[in-house]
Amino acid sequence: MTGVSLAGGAMTPFNRRKDGSSYRDWCAEAFRAALTDARLAARDIDALVIASESDFFSMQLNPAALVADELGLRGIRLQRVEGGGASGHLAVQAGAALVAAGQARRVAVLGFEASAAHLDGGTVGTLYSLSYDAWSEGATGIGSAAIYALSALAFMAETGATGADFARIAARNRQHARRNRFAHLGLDVSAADVLASPPVATPYRRLDCSPLSDGAACVILGRGADLPGTGRGRARLAGTGAANDRVRLGDRPAPGRFRAKTDAARQALAAAGCTAGDIGLAEVYDSFSGAQLQALDALGLAADAVAAERAGRFAADGALPVNLSGGLLGQGAPVGATGVAQVLAAAQQLEGRYHGVAPAAPPRFALVDTHGGIATLCAVSVLEAPR
Amino acid sequence: MKRRLCLDYTLPTGRLRPHFEALAQGRALAARCADCARVAFPPALTCAACGGSGIDWVPLAGSAKVLHRTDTPGAAFALAAFDGAAGAALVRLADAAAAGRRGQLVPPKDNDAGLWLALEEAEDDDDSTG
Repeated sequence: MTGVSLAGGAMTPFNRRKDGSSYRDWCAEAFRAALTDARLAARDIDALVIASESDFFSMQLNPAALVADELGLRGIRLQRVEGGGASGHLAVQAGAALVAAGQARRVAVLGFEASAAHLDGGTVGTLYSLSYDAWSEGATGIGSAAIYALSALAFMAETGATGADFARIAARNRQHARRNRFAHLGLDVSAADVLASPPVATPYRRLDCSPLSDGAACVILGRGADLPGTGRGRARLAGTGAANDRVRLGDRPAPGRFRAKTDAARQALAAAGCTAGDIGLAEVYDSFSGAQLQALDALGLAADAVAAERAGRFAADGALPVNLSGGLLGQGAPVGATGVAQVLAAAQQLEGRYHGVAPAAPPRFALVDTHGGIATLCAVSVLEAPR
Repeated sequence: MKRRLCLDYTLPTGRLRPHFEALAQGRALAARCADCARVAFPPALTCAACGGSGIDWVPLAGSAKVLHRTDTPGAAFALAAFDGAAGAALVRLADAAAAGRRGQLVPPKDNDAGLWLALEEAEDDDDSTG
């Protein structure tokens, strides 16, 4: 148990920003709104953890120092966390570690990315191809969709999952996102629409893929005793885990399985003192529709994830709702902010104050799953509802 | 505000240099672990089986069997198992229109470092040799 509570949080809309605003504006907006939500002032923050994947997007090295300065923070502990797509979630875990170690009392974890509007899509794709082994896989010119597709094909061959299963997930997450006012891609689409969208990398089609987004998200962490109202009514970070896998897909014994998620989930559940059967909702990393099913399989949230998906277990009215925020497919994916926003959504769902699609009754435990590469670096956290 | 950044990298490949030099010529040079004899292609600095760091370079035939294949609008990629090596490797298919399940390593296009596989005609497929 970490003994760390989520005092509050906020996010900007995730979208392709074309309004002339900058990532500095988004960071300030998310940070100030998070402080308001936590009923704290900037002077109460004694550590800032920044998550941002790539300086090629922001054209700013050492962004933690720059952002802190823009936020008016001086003389506090600063660090930047980077772990590809998992950057934001790893930053939350790093912030929690600072609190748990007694090195800070109230930590702001602020993730951002300007991955949509600053560069053309082709350039962004080229940069993201460096997320894999840039000397072998990346050098072939492969993009994220194709490498995820190869992993999905291996998963399909092993489990019997189909493109129709993936399409159902893609449509459902987009439908969830329609109720999320911060979402990039809430769409009124069906599985048939997904299957009819243009092919990208077999078996994936355009609507199977998450969008490139801009935006920022922030959460404030601290021990209850250091928070307004002793943190009453706020979710607690009950357990964290992180693990890695082989970088190159072909080096893995089972390229379709996200083994590092299994390891990270085992750590997080043990730290939280619960089991996978206690998890009542989840926000998982659905960069592609099939990746959601691969994640659920690896996280152990069902004995047979494919059968459970087909039985409706992961739907909003199912026993274990998944990605009520819309996930990356619907809410969007500004990389550094993604994991922070996932944690924020899960916390607010547990607290019974989520603005979008919410569970009928908040469960006791929620699981958040994020990864970088192709489940190469995985972060899993378990959150507990306020008592 | 407009900014433009042009970067021209020279990347030393260190101990993996023999592999990349061979790859540029379309030859498959694998790393055989000096401790447990596991053969890795593409090579790695540390053996995945035993953690050994000693490398003996061994040539492979460069032939491979396609395990999984994905087609994009502009290219095709595959996970392929190279004969004589453990595991699989991600390759780009030299001819995206070709449909065979076996192929041969060829020099990468544009002098890049990736693995490119030229597929053989479908009627030449023979899984028993894979």
